[in-house]
Amino acid sequence: MRGALLAIFIGVATIGLVAIGTIWPIPSAIYFAGSGNGSVLRSPTTPEIAIQDLGIRIRLHQMPAAYSSLANKAEFTQSEFDQDVTGFYRSLRTQATLETVDSQPLHQSADQAEMRVQFHWSTILGPYEDTREIQVVRNGDRWQVDWPLVKRPSVPAQVIPVNYLRWDVIYSGSTDEWGSQNVAGPNVRIVDMRPVNRAEGVYVLGELLDDDVVPAWVDVRATLIGKDGKILGSEDSFDMISHRLLPKQVTPFRIHFPNVDLSQVGSIRMQPESILISTSADPVIEILNEKYNALPIASLTGQLSDQSGRVVNFAHVLTTFYDSNGNVIWVSGRYIGRALPPQTPVNFTVSVPEDLARKVSSERTIVAAYSPRGDAL
Amino acid sequence: MKLPLKSYDTNQQLFFAYHYMHDWWNPWNVKWFTGFSQTTYPPLPQQWTALLGHIFGLQYAYMLVQFVAILLLAVGMYRFAAIWVNERAASFASLAVVLLGSESFLIYNAGQLATTWEAALYILALPYLYEWLRYGGFRPFIKALVLFAAASAAHDVIIIFGTAFFTFPLIALAIMERDKGEETTTGAAVIGRAVAMAIAAAVAIGLVLLPYWIDLFRYPVSQTPIPHASRANYLLTPFWGTNYFLIPWGALMLALPFIVWRGAHVRRLIPLLLGFWACFLVGLGGTTPVALWLLHRAFYVLTFERVAYWAELLSLPILGLLCSELVTRFRMKAVVPLVVLGAITCGLPIAWSNYQPTNSINLDVRPVAEWLNRGGHDNYRYFTLGFGNNISRLSVETRANTVDGEWYSDRRLPELMKFGGGSLDNSKYFGPGGLGALQAILRHANRYGLKWIFVHDPWYDPLLHFAGWRQVDQLEYGAIQVWSKEAVPPAHPMVFGVKPPPWQCIMWGIVPIGSSILAFLLWFIPDKRRQFLTEEDDSDATDETYMHERLAS
Repeated sequence: MRGALLAIFIGVATIGLVAIGTIWPIPSAIYFAGSGNGSVLRSPTTPEIAIQDLGIRIRLHQMPAAYSSLANKAEFTQSEFDQDVTGFYRSLRTQATLETVDSQPLHQSADQAEMRVQFHWSTILGPYEDTREIQVVRNGDRWQVDWPLVKRPSVPAQVIPVNYLRWDVIYSGSTDEWGSQNVAGPNVRIVDMRPVNRAEGVYVLGELLDDDVVPAWVDVRATLIGKDGKILGSEDSFDMISHRLLPKQVTPFRIHFPNVDLSQVGSIRMQPESILISTSADPVIEILNEKYNALPIASLTGQLSDQSGRVVNFAHVLTTFYDSNGNVIWVSGRYIGRALPPQTPVNFTVSVPEDLARKVSSERTIVAAYSPRGDAL
Repeated sequence: MKLPLKSYDTNQQLFFAYHYMHDWWNPWNVKWFTGFSQTTYPPLPQQWTALLGHIFGLQYAYMLVQFVAILLLAVGMYRFAAIWVNERAASFASLAVVLLGSESFLIYNAGQLATTWEAALYILALPYLYEWLRYGGFRPFIKALVLFAAASAAHDVIIIFGTAFFTFPLIALAIMERDKGEETTTGAAVIGRAVAMAIAAAVAIGLVLLPYWIDLFRYPVSQTPIPHASRANYLLTPFWGTNYFLIPWGALMLALPFIVWRGAHVRRLIPLLLGFWACFLVGLGGTTPVALWLLHRAFYVLTFERVAYWAELLSLPILGLLCSELVTRFRMKAVVPLVVLGAITCGLPIAWSNYQPTNSINLDVRPVAEWLNRGGHDNYRYFTLGFGNNISRLSVETRANTVDGEWYSDRRLPELMKFGGGSLDNSKYFGPGGLGALQAILRHANRYGLKWIFVHDPWYDPLLHFAGWRQVDQLEYGAIQVWSKEAVPPAHPMVFGVKPPPWQCIMWGIVPIGSSILAFLLWFIPDKRRQFLTEEDDSDATDETYMHERLAS
């Protein structure tokens, strides 16, 4: 009898502990179950829960389940939904993982709610946010998301004439050590440079010009030297520069030294680096409707339009902000989450630190692009 | 025959063994993380692999060492099970351990050579511990002590986290049966002997792994925890439930009700049942909150597939009893299904590792090694992206050094410690933590003389492009892209952490392997023949009255 009681106790306790671990999962279980906000198994009894559940399914790449949970799924196919969420072409979005979802109610009635939803994605190029206004509707005792589908842009059939410049480099032979060339690098010149002290550390801002007649692959390295002559740090521009420079093209650069104060710095040694590369002038990306907004949130908005006939998969917008004297006061960058289809404008926003917003007098924007070979429309 | 070589950690074990093979007396290995000390990983199986590698070659030596672990475990399980159940049931338990799903999972999927060696030596020590607790005597004491020390030289996890599950039931049994059998004792004497053994074992283990403990004391686990799917809730994430529960447990799941029922009804099996139950709950990872409650921060360091393995080992004596009774009662009608179920349980993890390869990518790394070894390319450091567990194999093949590696406990590069990612090679699987580490190391490429990145996964290309890297070559007909960064100075020696001093190097080369040789020599000395009680001697046992006298040895 005692044995039976013990066996039953063990069985019941095990089931009970598994139930506790499932109904109130521990953080690691929540992490693997796909929720960033702390709960996993719920009935969508509120608009917020419906949004969160959709986010979990997208995070776990359970796209059929995510599609099935939508109120308006009859209006589009699952394939269209998948492409809207993850992108139509290879892009940051197709490689992104949804980390968390934040939602704010804008209006709510008994049967309908309008939510501002912020999707926080992690990508290989850093975090990325996507904000949408989403309707959530009540269906019996459940709330369901009315997904605001963005359809794939359609471009009329046309011929794009290709007349861009192209430079090829013939190397002297296989005995060359990779990374070093037996020809001098193209002439590049720093045309402006300025250190800025901010709470996150020292930034070295500036612009680099390809002063040659051939294209260059460039980088800028800065070394901070203390007042006592000791080196405080040495960093390069990493991704805050357009590494590919065509002849006479200018790129901004920004180099960050965390945990350094400008008062410690005695001098700065700048080392622009360049190497000859084979490249072409395409794709040409036009910047349209550029507009600087000082208030309420300082930002530069505009549209990118790919003028070539091929998709640009990854684009990085780099903007230099100048004061009224023409001095560089900030360099900002923003990756575009979606690919740029030909002839189709895509919005972009570049932010500016609030304390610099009123000093901005003008700006100049360039776009660095990357498309893996073989990717086409 | 070579299937274990495909498992997750095998290449890492071979990498460590390769280093011992070529530099036995210097555990400082510069090939990973700009340099790390192999004293941070108990060395026994790798050292045996290195020694035998001189005769058989590294891969066959690995297979041989793994095979020996299985044999030792079978012998150990027979003796351990014989403490609890009759000789016939112990034989079935011994047979079952070879077919155990978890054992198969660790060998063919996870490649945890160290865990299987540790378990084998630890299980071998337990009957001597029990004999010491019951009867005292120098011979069982010294045998248990040396086997515990040798087990710790193979790995330390079962010693630190598993001891309670295995030894508390033995202590409880020794107290319960203190006045039964051929010699009687007292509860106080049993506890006193247990304390004496704990102290002696702590000293012996401390000595055998002294350089390891010094390193651990100097650098306590301070890295951001790396996510591991064995900490998931297996119901909420059915894939991981399959991987870490259904596959390793296999047909043993069918026996769980019997194990609980019989364990609860036979008084002397109750401590074993409770030890099994606690281990089972912890082995469920994040499915219950028990593991987190018991382990606190250690929960985020430990992986739970090995705890499930211990739970299965603890269940085997009672499973042996079930098999024994079924075969006695039904003869061939029981034998055939048992063999089939055993084969399925053993085969499932092997099939699963082929169906769902963990990180195993079929890639020939020799062209990469040849590329690195020519033209002065090995003057710079490198790392790989998308190579899976081939990075250890590449490290064996090339002279060049990498900033990456697969042994996370002793990486001291700040960029790798801060973010909570695994290896850079598979950083995309670790979310913002993994990608943060990747970006950080790319930012400091010049500092580390990092000039080459070998990419087998184009997913990473955008980051490399925008960070200023250029594709300069391709290997394996374009399957592997070589990316390079300009103006990177050649790599120079860098030491993060502390190199072990010469006395530790000598100690590391002698004591761990010496402990195993001593353990084997002592183990071969014949034991005193003793009769232990079995579940059938228990007054609360079933009505069956057949008695098997059996010996401890």
